[in-house]
Amino acid sequence: MEADELLVLVAGGDQKAFEDLYGLVSGPVFGLVRRVVRDPAQSEEVAQEVLLELWRSAGRFDPARGSALSWILTLAHRRAVDRVRSVRAAGEREEREARRAHHPAFDQVTEEVEAGLEREWVRHCLDRLTALQRQSVTLAYYDGYTYREVAERLSLPLGTVKTRMRDGLTRLRECLGGAA
Amino acid sequence: MNALRRLLRREDLHSLAAPYALDSLDAGERRRFEKHLDRCEHCAGEVRALSEDAVRLAWSTAAPAPAALRERVLAAVRATPQEPVPGRQAPGRERTPQLPPHVWGTQPPPARTRTPRVRPLLVPLTTATAAAALVVAGLFAVQAGRTQDRLDAERARANEIAQVLAAPDARATSSKDARGRGIAVIASATEGRAVVTLSGYDSPPGGRVHQLWLMRPDVQPRSLGLLAGDTPLIATGLDASAMSLAVTVEPGGGSAQPTSQPIAQLALKSVGFGE
Ligand SMILES: [Zn+2]
Repeated sequence: MEADELLVLVAGGDQKAFEDLYGLVSGPVFGLVRRVVRDPAQSEEVAQEVLLELWRSAGRFDPARGSALSWILTLAHRRAVDRVRSVRAAGEREEREARRAHHPAFDQVTEEVEAGLEREWVRHCLDRLTALQRQSVTLAYYDGYTYREVAERLSLPLGTVKTRMRDGLTRLRECLGGAA
Repeated sequence: MNALRRLLRREDLHSLAAPYALDSLDAGERRRFEKHLDRCEHCAGEVRALSEDAVRLAWSTAAPAPAALRERVLAAVRATPQEPVPGRQAPGRERTPQLPPHVWGTQPPPARTRTPRVRPLLVPLTTATAAAALVVAGLFAVQAGRTQDRLDAERARANEIAQVLAAPDARATSSKDARGRGIAVIASATEGRAVVTLSGYDSPPGGRVHQLWLMRPDVQPRSLGLLAGDTPLIATGLDASAMSLAVTVEPGGGSAQPTSQPIAQLALKSVGFGE
């Protein structure tokens, strides 16, 4: 069964459907959370929160508004970003100092070289963006920075960052095409 | 002048669709933009499309989740009640139909319904995992407005509960009758402890009480204590022979042995007992 149908069953309290849904989405959810949060223990914690939240709030999913998978991953991303920001806020000083010590590489998206067609394809498409588009998109999405922080890191005006983000996403759409 | 400033601010908001789709607004801006989405057809449409693009970035990061995660999540699911489906009895929700997943992912739509909401008490737990914290929050689904003393006492109990939850073999199970009344347990066989909650039952009339019993084969029931409302009870000293739990209505103060038929029962096999 597809995630969409399963999520509707889950909303009705069907625990078996939840197990099936878990099988479908736990990998994408966990992988995404880990990509953003980095720390393994915290990633597991956030992934667990997200998966349990799927159970609790499945009733909020409305198939008319988009696919279940995109709803689920959107939720996972939001939770991961919230976590990484609060961790960062707590350790902001250390980070400031660390940043002064060495400039981190911006293009960290390519650091995980595990194969996988979708992974390769996304990477291929990211490579076709301009450097600023790519950095704006990945610093925000994969590293959880606000667009203000992105602007600061890239020494760009806010307006430029917002535009790069939009252009980057749009170009990504063209490159990725409909192949989901 | 004022109108111009408003216009400029709005202009500014219109440009936030892409940062929003990437989750790169800070909390305050996010809230303001979500309000804006409520009114701006254009941005709502843009966010919907850009969010789909952003999610494509997620797919490439998929990685197998740790095996232990599955067990923990499924156990938590068995013990965690679901939120009531919004919108069914809330006609006011029609006002936010075009909101993208981001919005409904964060919070239930702003409470335009007048139904009193049960607010879970958030318990700060350092030892338990996040899911365990949610289970506890569920167990403590109390009405807002309790006194500080009461909250402190509940927090102290929550810490005790957290220890059960943090046990590596902690498992949850529950049973419910057709009217949604039931008993829920989170137990650790190695610790010989369990957290038990009764939900949906009114207090028995005439000063009578709900008493919890441990049932074992070929032995008299053993009292585990009195259940006060939906407050969790921590049962200790459970060993492998613990077969099931039973709740009876007893005279005030409780009885040495059950004097009536159980109103609720729950087998403990699925949580590692009763071998
Ligand atoms: Zn707008």
